[in-house]
Amino acid sequence: MSHERLEHHEAEATDRAMFGFWLYLMTDLLMFAILFGVYAVLHGNAIGGEEGRHLFSLPLALTETLLLLTSSFTCGLGMIAARLGKKKQVLTWFGVTFVLGLAFLLLEIDEFVKLIDEGQTPQLNAFMSSFFTLLGTHGLHITIGLLWIAATLGYIMKRGLNHHMVRKLAMLSLFWHFLDIVWIFIFTIVYMGAFV
Amino acid sequence: MNKKQSHHGPQNEHGTVQSYVIGFVLSLICTFIPYYLVVEKIVTGNTLLATIVVFGFVQMLIQIVFFLHLGRGPKPNWNLFFFGSTFTIVLAVVGGSIFIIHNLNYHMTPSDKIKKLLNDENIQQIGGADTGVCGQTYESHIVTIKDGIVEPLQTEAKRCDTLTFVNEDEVEREITFGEHEDHEAYAGEIELPVTRGRNKTITLSEEGLYRFHDHLDPDISGYFTVQSK
Repeated sequence: MSHERLEHHEAEATDRAMFGFWLYLMTDLLMFAILFGVYAVLHGNAIGGEEGRHLFSLPLALTETLLLLTSSFTCGLGMIAARLGKKKQVLTWFGVTFVLGLAFLLLEIDEFVKLIDEGQTPQLNAFMSSFFTLLGTHGLHITIGLLWIAATLGYIMKRGLNHHMVRKLAMLSLFWHFLDIVWIFIFTIVYMGAFV
Repeated sequence: MNKKQSHHGPQNEHGTVQSYVIGFVLSLICTFIPYYLVVEKIVTGNTLLATIVVFGFVQMLIQIVFFLHLGRGPKPNWNLFFFGSTFTIVLAVVGGSIFIIHNLNYHMTPSDKIKKLLNDENIQQIGGADTGVCGQTYESHIVTIKDGIVEPLQTEAKRCDTLTFVNEDEVEREITFGEHEDHEAYAGEIELPVTRGRNKTITLSEEGLYRFHDHLDPDISGYFTVQSK
């Protein structure tokens, strides 16, 4: 195979892989949508506990939103660097993304622990069950994303930035942007919605 | 590289630093405006809810265009097609479910919901069972009906006092509230049957001036006023 044909072949393989990953994201979107639906139906049933407005902190939710939004941005910058083959920049930008994502996750875990300490456990009522399910699922995705970033960065440090790694990073950034979009709706419906 | 570019068409499907900066700034705007509206309570209720949800969707579109670069890949764009169909399913299933369940929820009154309603409406007892609106009761007032005469004719009470109807006659009395044939409920009670020689007590959880009478003998009537504590 000539060099050009090989490159064409590579590009097609990447397109196929990205499409497959996109299909996965769409099924994930369906799952999140259903969890949002469940939350929308059940969030009023806070019997035996406090309502959302007495539990949530808007500044905290805003901080989490800004962390995740900024991490989505730095992830995009890292992706540009990856396509230009700039390994050092890739490590920097995705490193920043990892740190911001980790800060987000720690804030979320801290919020969960405080809620449970106050007796607002998932078993308490339907509101808390749907809240923990929705946010827990998102948090789990973030955790997986963080592990994925760490593993990919470790791989790039060891083996360098090649075609396959750029493809992996492209999927990773797609995943990360997707989680940011899901969070926008959590911020809007769960947190801000509680104060309407 | 030329080959790859021609394969992907003239548009840049991966985005530039500029497009990411634009997307980031627009996203920040779409975060801060609804946040400000919620914190400052500039609009309220369903208007506010609709506004923040619209901002959420706008921000989603912004990120789809500037971060995910959807719709800028090779044609035919299967990613866009799949996103569209997923979104349609989401709208139908989730939107439909919320609508249906909300409707069901609205028409059902489980016991906890009744309790909340009782609290909101200040109803102290239903059919003699305490609902817990008044944490405790204070003074007791007694209205005696003897030989068809109500004594005292008017009772002055404070909220969360109790009022006892004592029937010393040999006939049954049916204490009802409001004018005869135009009854109203007081504290969840529509009608209070008091058999001969017995009594019935209600807790005065609703404030105001109320008239009561014997439904079986409307001439037997009296008043009570309930003032706030």
